[in-house]
Amino acid sequence: MTTRQTEKPVIVSDFGDDPDMAELVSEFVSGLPQQIADLQAAFTAGDTETVTRLAHSLAGAGGGYGFRPITDQARIVEMEQRDSASPESIRASIEALADICDRARRGIESNA
Amino acid sequence: MEQASSIQSDRARPRALVIDDSAPIHRLLSARLQSEGLELLEALDGPTGLEVAKAERPDLILLDLTLIGMDGFEVMRQLKDDPATIEIPIIVLSGLQSAEDKVMAFDLGAIDYVTKPFDLTELRARVRSAMRQAQLLRMLAQRAQIDGLTGLYNRAHFDDRWPEAISSASRHNRALSIAMFDLDHFKSINDMYGHPAGDAAIQGLGNLLQSQCRDSDIICRFGGEEFAVIMPETAPSEGTVLCERIRAELEQMTWPRHPDRTITVSIGLCGRGADGGSMTPEAWLEAADKNLYAAKEGGRNRVHCTDIEGARVQLAKAG
Repeated sequence: MTTRQTEKPVIVSDFGDDPDMAELVSEFVSGLPQQIADLQAAFTAGDTETVTRLAHSLAGAGGGYGFRPITDQARIVEMEQRDSASPESIRASIEALADICDRARRGIESNA
Repeated sequence: MEQASSIQSDRARPRALVIDDSAPIHRLLSARLQSEGLELLEALDGPTGLEVAKAERPDLILLDLTLIGMDGFEVMRQLKDDPATIEIPIIVLSGLQSAEDKVMAFDLGAIDYVTKPFDLTELRARVRSAMRQAQLLRMLAQRAQIDGLTGLYNRAHFDDRWPEAISSASRHNRALSIAMFDLDHFKSINDMYGHPAGDAAIQGLGNLLQSQCRDSDIICRFGGEEFAVIMPETAPSEGTVLCERIRAELEQMTWPRHPDRTITVSIGLCGRGADGGSMTPEAWLEAADKNLYAAKEGGRNRVHCTDIEGARVQLAKAG
């Protein structure tokens, strides 16, 4: 489901250099695929409440773990869902979020 | 409902409750705030947060505003409505960035507002600052000598000032009086019109005392519906004139909550002239209290005044 755009650069946490944060960041990132899968499943099922909640949670947490792009994009998804934007638009925003999360995951892997 | 879990169980450390619906935020904060020596409690929704706050009385609450279900504003309202949690400082952690949301959060009683995503170093500094402020406020509350309802001095202040007033009067051969004021039938006002009416009566008498007494008088809310006024350089005959004026004024007041029901006050005063004797603070206060009791016994809504030797001082009837 995730759009592969391997030409796009990986995203690394702002706290990548902080040894105290490394384990936390890696734990957060390893949970991202499941969160994106849940988000996509909720969207497909038309469960707008869950879409809003998951996007909200990602928006709140992303920047805290040093991934500002995750926060920014998740906030777009959350706002679009709240404002009942068109399904096409929300789908595209979720795909963009999935892409960002994937690039974050690859960033961790490339570091390992 | 989610159960709050205690990350650490060392009770000697200050405790912060995090109310946020994002599990990754809880993990992040618990890892990063432990270095501040904080023990963290967590709640994933508003109702759980309220429950934990009430049961555990944490030293600080970190509160997300956009909680699913009961939102953070409502959580804050309820925290600030409950005497058990009203004093716990709240730092809002929120993705909401509008000035309107910030204003509302501060107006509801937040001590600080941190927008997500937050910088952890900054958040830690803000937590430290909030804990410092909360500690200062607690210290102030303990030591403050101001009564919250009336803005007058409280009993603690009275206890400090009354012995000073006596020794100063004795040293300089000056007159000194003390008057005790007690609202009549206060319980029935509370019972008939509710506690807000009772509070209004207390505030009304407090305001009246403030407007009628001199700047040098020390007005204290002694407790409940009772006030004490220390009147330096005031002989009992002068003090009783002032007390009578206050008694008459109060009787004339109309009360919005019960326009047909007047409120009266009984007053006991005991004082000495410039060359009178002295008493211990306790005995003098007791004498004033006894006079207050006599005023109540005499039918209420009156002033009963004696000098320090126990001789009755009558109000000279002026035209």
